[in-house]
Amino acid sequence: MVFWFIAALLTLAASLAVLMPLAGRSKNDSSGGAHDLEVYRDQLAELDRDAARGLIQPTDAEQARAEIARRIIRLGSDDKQQRIFTSSVSVARSLGVAAVLAVPLISWGLYSILGSPDIPSQPLRERLAQNPADSSVDELIARAEAHLAGNPQDGRGWDVLAPVYLRIGRYDQAVTAYRNAIRLQGSTADREAGLGEAITDAADGMVSAEAQQAFERALRLEKDQPKSRFYLATALVQDGKIQEAASAWEAMLASLPADSPWRSPTEAALAETQKRMTGAPVAKAAPGPSKQDMEAAASMSPEDRKAMIETMVAKLDEKLRQNPHDVEGWQRLLRSYLVLGKNDEAHAALKRGIEALGATTEDGKKFAEFAATLGLSATE
Amino acid sequence: MVEIGHFALVLAFALSLVQSLVPLFGARSGNERLMAVGGPVAVTGFGLTALSFLALASAYLQSDFSVVNVWENSHSLQPMLYKFTGTWGNHEGSMLLWVLILTFFGALVAAFGANLPATLRANVLAVQGWIGAAFFLFILTTSNPFTRLIPAPIEGRDLNPVLQDVGLAIHPPLLYLGYVGFSVCFSFAVAALIDGKIDAAWARWVRPWTLAAWVFLTGGIAMGSYWAYYELGWGGFWFWDPVENASFMPWLAGTALLHSAIVMEKRSALKIWTLLLAILTFSLSLLGTFLVRSGVLTSVHAFATDPSRGIFILCILTLFIGGSLALFALRAGSLTAGGIFQPISREGSLVLNNLFLTTAAATVLIGTLYPLLLEATTGDKISVGAPFFNLTFGALMVPVLLLIPFGPLLAWKRGDIFAAAQRLMVAFGGALLAVLVTVLFIDKAAVFTALGIGIAVWLVLGALTDLALKSGIGNVPLKTAISRFVGLPGSVFGTAIAHLGLGLTLLGIVSAVSFESERILTMHPGDTTEVAGRVVRFDGLHPFQGPNFTEDRGRFVLVGPDGKDKLEVISSKRFYPARRMPTTEAGIKTMGFSQLYVSLGDEQTDGAVVVRMWWKPLVTLIWLGGLVMMVGGTVSLTDRRLRVGAPARRSARPADKARPVTT
Repeated sequence: MVFWFIAALLTLAASLAVLMPLAGRSKNDSSGGAHDLEVYRDQLAELDRDAARGLIQPTDAEQARAEIARRIIRLGSDDKQQRIFTSSVSVARSLGVAAVLAVPLISWGLYSILGSPDIPSQPLRERLAQNPADSSVDELIARAEAHLAGNPQDGRGWDVLAPVYLRIGRYDQAVTAYRNAIRLQGSTADREAGLGEAITDAADGMVSAEAQQAFERALRLEKDQPKSRFYLATALVQDGKIQEAASAWEAMLASLPADSPWRSPTEAALAETQKRMTGAPVAKAAPGPSKQDMEAAASMSPEDRKAMIETMVAKLDEKLRQNPHDVEGWQRLLRSYLVLGKNDEAHAALKRGIEALGATTEDGKKFAEFAATLGLSATE
Repeated sequence: MVEIGHFALVLAFALSLVQSLVPLFGARSGNERLMAVGGPVAVTGFGLTALSFLALASAYLQSDFSVVNVWENSHSLQPMLYKFTGTWGNHEGSMLLWVLILTFFGALVAAFGANLPATLRANVLAVQGWIGAAFFLFILTTSNPFTRLIPAPIEGRDLNPVLQDVGLAIHPPLLYLGYVGFSVCFSFAVAALIDGKIDAAWARWVRPWTLAAWVFLTGGIAMGSYWAYYELGWGGFWFWDPVENASFMPWLAGTALLHSAIVMEKRSALKIWTLLLAILTFSLSLLGTFLVRSGVLTSVHAFATDPSRGIFILCILTLFIGGSLALFALRAGSLTAGGIFQPISREGSLVLNNLFLTTAAATVLIGTLYPLLLEATTGDKISVGAPFFNLTFGALMVPVLLLIPFGPLLAWKRGDIFAAAQRLMVAFGGALLAVLVTVLFIDKAAVFTALGIGIAVWLVLGALTDLALKSGIGNVPLKTAISRFVGLPGSVFGTAIAHLGLGLTLLGIVSAVSFESERILTMHPGDTTEVAGRVVRFDGLHPFQGPNFTEDRGRFVLVGPDGKDKLEVISSKRFYPARRMPTTEAGIKTMGFSQLYVSLGDEQTDGAVVVRMWWKPLVTLIWLGGLVMMVGGTVSLTDRRLRVGAPARRSARPADKARPVTT
């Protein structure tokens, strides 16, 4: 609103700049001849000054004076044959009106094409000072970074920022942040495990000796810390110690609580390891949540985690709309909806799946059977 | 605020359209009211452009990344100064600065032009309006600095690290003041062509404008040269780079214009030639803008290459240069030619100056454009470099430099060359002495160097001789001489100072090129080396964290003859993470007029580092000479006679009875 007000004021000022001289009294200005005469008179005065200072010889001065006088005389004769202006008043008036109108028309017309009047200015300082609830993740991070740049000894700040870096994939910065947090706030199992994870992710998933040390420190502080156990087992796989990795995972599964988010990745990893041990071709890992997604989910608040899962389910749903001939996809979607407690969506997904696959095809029958095991029937 | 700036820019464009048509029509039809529109519109247009520029600058200062231009060229951690200078450290912003200065000059003409003949003033403002409209349209259609970005990123991409320097605060504004200042001369020339007559006031007005633009351009070029010298780390001060040439050509033409304008003002001669020069000078400025902005040349100046921009500027270029030259061809015949004069006279020497300077400008033009044309037509890439320019340009400059001291000593209309030569005997003797001293005591083989130094001394002493003669030192009692000296008009001082400055620059160039010593070596911490008899010790590299960069600082110590540490020189290599770009920061120590220049190369594995070290004797004189030239121009500007005779202003003085009667 303020913008439109100022814009209107500016337009008014600009239009007045055109209008005022047009509306003003026509003053009969001196002709060019008078100006020329004035210039020559100045030159004469200057000549006199120079002569008085002795800068030019008296004879030269006399000659110059004569020269200027000649020009003045010539000027007089020019003046007499001054051209007569033919000014058509009506043309001039309409030009004036057009000029005054052109200013608002052109400016508002052009601005409406080019401008974005509804976007306010966004100075960085104000953006960082606004209510955190309205900020995007990037803004929150920038805010924290700005704070930490000024107070690098704020351990809590690093502690908060470290898992966020990890989640958005800025692994190197996550490593630094975890190190700072540990240095300033002391070592805890979560921080050490986070550090190890950050180092691992920064190295594209290779669990280095440095990372292993971090996980081991975490386990010393908390005996059953699942993240550290999982990654140490992964390290065993990477070292070729498949057997030991499998037993590590088995032991882990035995002690994990039933609702732990680590259950399914561990199960998947164990299954894969066992396949490798039996020499069976390594099946492509189920296209479930990626490892990173799971790690991220582990470090989230329950609400965030739910939101994240819902996004993933929605993504899967969308994918199946575009490519519906995917039995496994439909099965996963169905299970997901039931886990989330969305029974209506589950029913709808079942119906859509049967339609897409065809009720009489092998895939369709398989899907219906799968639904039956979950307590859903396709017959409605 | 951002959108207000955008709107103000659009509004300024609308006003420039009015300014380019209404006063012109008024002048053609003799309508006073229509002519009067030019003034207020020019002033308001400047106000709006300034508002627009301020809006962009404040977006930069506040790191408003919702503006694409700010996001692309700024960073929240940059020091405040670079946030501000970043406003014009990019294509869009620099074009906005260009029109800001253009409208500023237009407003000045409007404000101080009350004493100009009304039609001349209206025409001048209209031509300024054309230039303004063309460039506003260019900005709004191809290079809009106010384009928004939603959602706004949280961090910018940083200003080009090479530009993160105080130089950016000085060099472009000065250069643009120079370039665009010549637009006023151009407008006056075209206005005179439209009117078909050259008023006496015309001659008086063109000279101060040329002078002002020339002073700024001189400063801009000198600053640019010094900046390149210390920032690029090669220790060179002039590369005959096309971008440098682009600013040097208007300077040469402008210098010629400056001198021919004197003849026109004093003697009413060379009118048509001066007019043509005014057109050519601004045309070369436009050409410079085209070369630099279109992306034809890749350099630090070509911020972004976008063919549509190049074509647009090419159109502007063709329209204005072609149009004005066509108008010149049509109208020049009907203009009254000026008086005639003897070849041996002040006028004659100035004509000679003009001939040489325009030829030199043409040489540089050919050397700059030929490779581009060749590449465009045949695809062959050649580079025309220093050897070509040194040979052609140097050869053209020697006679000019030799003749400079004669010019001011010759009388108007008919001069006496022998009398002038006689008076210059002292200067000639001094120059000869300088040549002999150089050959005998410094370097027996350096004949050309000695001659160069001789010419430099000749220029300096010649300028001083002029002052001494005009104040009558030696002919009249000392007291009279002093009072005469003090009373000399500013233009005489200006001439002498500017010519002296040229001599200093020449001395600096010859000395720095011929007598510099260079060392390139690998140094370990603790190593010492010697350059031009000075012992320098390397103390090792130390990391340092800047606001938006990290750097390795090499510490060098100049060891005195007594073995004690005398001076510390810090030379560093920086890394700007936002752009992933390294820069070198040369370490420079000025001693007297000479400089020790240390530049860091690659680091070796064992802590050693490649070091380039120069001793550059008298090198600062190159730029100090430029400053002295600027002072000369400014002194000349203050001269009373540069003010225009004004009927309107005179009438305010009741004592002045001889007021011209209005007809």
